[in-house]
Amino acid sequence: MSAGDSALTAGVLLRVFMRSLFLQASWNPQGMQNLGLAYAVFPALERLYAAGPAREEAVRRHLVFFNTHPYVAAAIVGGVVFHEERIARGEEAPDRVVAFKAALMGPLAALGDGFFWLSLKPAAGAVGAALVPLLGLWAVPVFLVMYNLVHLLLRVRLYWLGLTLGDRLVEAVARANLPARGARLRTVAAVCAGGLAAWLAVTFGANAGGAHAPLLAAGCLALGVASYVLVSRRVPNYVVLYLAALLACVAGAFL
Amino acid sequence: MSVVWDQVALAGVWGGLVAVERKAFLQAMLSRPLVAASVMGLLLNDVPSGLAVGLLLELFFLGTANLGASLPENDTLAATATSAAAATLTAATGAGSTPAIWSLAVLLFIGMGRVGRRADRLLEGHSARLARVALASAEAGNLTRAMRQNLWGMWPHFALYGALTALCALAGYFVEPLLQRLPHVVVRGLAWAWPAMASVAAAIAAQGSHARRAPLYAALGAAAVTVAIVLLLLTERA
Repeated sequence: MSAGDSALTAGVLLRVFMRSLFLQASWNPQGMQNLGLAYAVFPALERLYAAGPAREEAVRRHLVFFNTHPYVAAAIVGGVVFHEERIARGEEAPDRVVAFKAALMGPLAALGDGFFWLSLKPAAGAVGAALVPLLGLWAVPVFLVMYNLVHLLLRVRLYWLGLTLGDRLVEAVARANLPARGARLRTVAAVCAGGLAAWLAVTFGANAGGAHAPLLAAGCLALGVASYVLVSRRVPNYVVLYLAALLACVAGAFL
Repeated sequence: MSVVWDQVALAGVWGGLVAVERKAFLQAMLSRPLVAASVMGLLLNDVPSGLAVGLLLELFFLGTANLGASLPENDTLAATATSAAAATLTAATGAGSTPAIWSLAVLLFIGMGRVGRRADRLLEGHSARLARVALASAEAGNLTRAMRQNLWGMWPHFALYGALTALCALAGYFVEPLLQRLPHVVVRGLAWAWPAMASVAAAIAAQGSHARRAPLYAALGAAAVTVAIVLLLLTERA
C-alpha cells in the first residue's frame, strides 16, 4: 500500500508527524513515552474511529508503556497509523498494533541510541567545537545544519517508511547500515577532539609564553594526555578538570 | 554594582526555552552547550564569553547521553548558567571578556549540570502525575483532556530551568566584587586555567567519543594540527 491509498488526508498525516516531535513532553518513569505516543497518533485515531467506545479503546491501546529513541520513534508512529487504518477497516485484530510496538521499540531504541546519541551527536559536537577557532560564531549554525540535515531527513524518512511499509520497515532500516556509519562518525569525533586539544595547547603557548612558548604548549598537551589516562581509569571528570585548573592557576601565578 | 534586570530576564527566557528543547520538544540540538552558551553570549552582548564557555562545555559533556531511563547530567543548564554568569560578570567589570572570567565562571557554575540532574528527577514525578491524570481521563472517556496532559509536562521545565539560569545570571553580578579583590597573580593563574581546562575537556571528549581506537585517532588529529601550525609559523618566519 502507498500513503496515497490512505483514508487519512495529508493534513492529518502531517499533524501526526508534527505532534510526534512532542513525544517526550511528559516522559515519566512508569509509562515513559506513552502519553507522547498517544498524543501524536490522536488526530489519526479521531479520523479513523467515531467518537465513543471504539475511539476510547484505540487511545487506551497507546497509553500503555512505550519507550524508544525519540527520533526513530517516527518509524513506529508511522507504523501505528498504518496498523490502525487496517484495524479500523476490520482487516486486522487490535493486538497487531500492540505487538508491532512491543517488537520494535527495543531494537529501534538500541539503533537510535547507537547512531544518534553515541555517534552523530559526539561527531557533530566535536566538529562544531573544532570549527570555533576557524569560524568563530559561525561554527554554531554549521554545527546545527550538519546535525539536523541528518536528523530531520532521517526522521521524515522513517515516518514515511512506517506509514507505507508497516512491519516491513525493519528491512528498510537494516539496509541503511547505521551501525557501520556510526563507527565512522565516532572516529571523526576522536580526531577532532585530538586536533582541538593540540590547537588549544599551541595557541596557549604562543599567547602566554614568549621564550617559554614551546615548553608551555608541550605542558598543556601533556596535561591533555594525562587527563585522558585518568578519565580512562575512571577518575571522575570533575576531579580531573578542577585538578588541571588548580595546577594551571599555580603555574600561572608563579611562573 | 548595578544589576541589569533585562539581561537577567533574557537569560532566564533562553535558559527555559532550551531546557524544553532538550527533552520535551524536537531535540534539534539547540540545547547543546556549544549552541546554548553561544546564543546566550549573543543575547547578553558577550559573544566571546558564550563561545569560550560553549566550546569548553561541549567538549566536557560530549560523551554524555540520555540512554533509556538513565539521567545524565544536565549539560544544557550547565551551559546556560555558566555562560549567563560569565556574561553578567563581564558586564559588571565594565571591561572586556577575559579567559580569567571564563575560568572563574566555569569553576563556579559547571556544577549546575548536577543540580539539573536532580531537577530532572524531580520533574519526572510531575510527569508521572500527569500520566495518571491522562489515564483516568481516558478511562472516563474524556480523551481531549487526556491528550492535553502531554503538553502540560513541558512548562515546569521552562519555568524551573529558566529561573535557575536567571539566578546564575544574577549571581554573575555578585561575583564581580570578589574578582576585583583577587590578587593579580591569582587572576593570571585563572587566565592560564582556561586553556588547561579546555585541553582537559578535549581529552575527555576524545575519551567520550566512543571510538574503538580513540587514543590513536585523537593522537593523529593532534599530530596533524601541530604539524600544520608549526609549518604555518615556519612559513611566516621565512
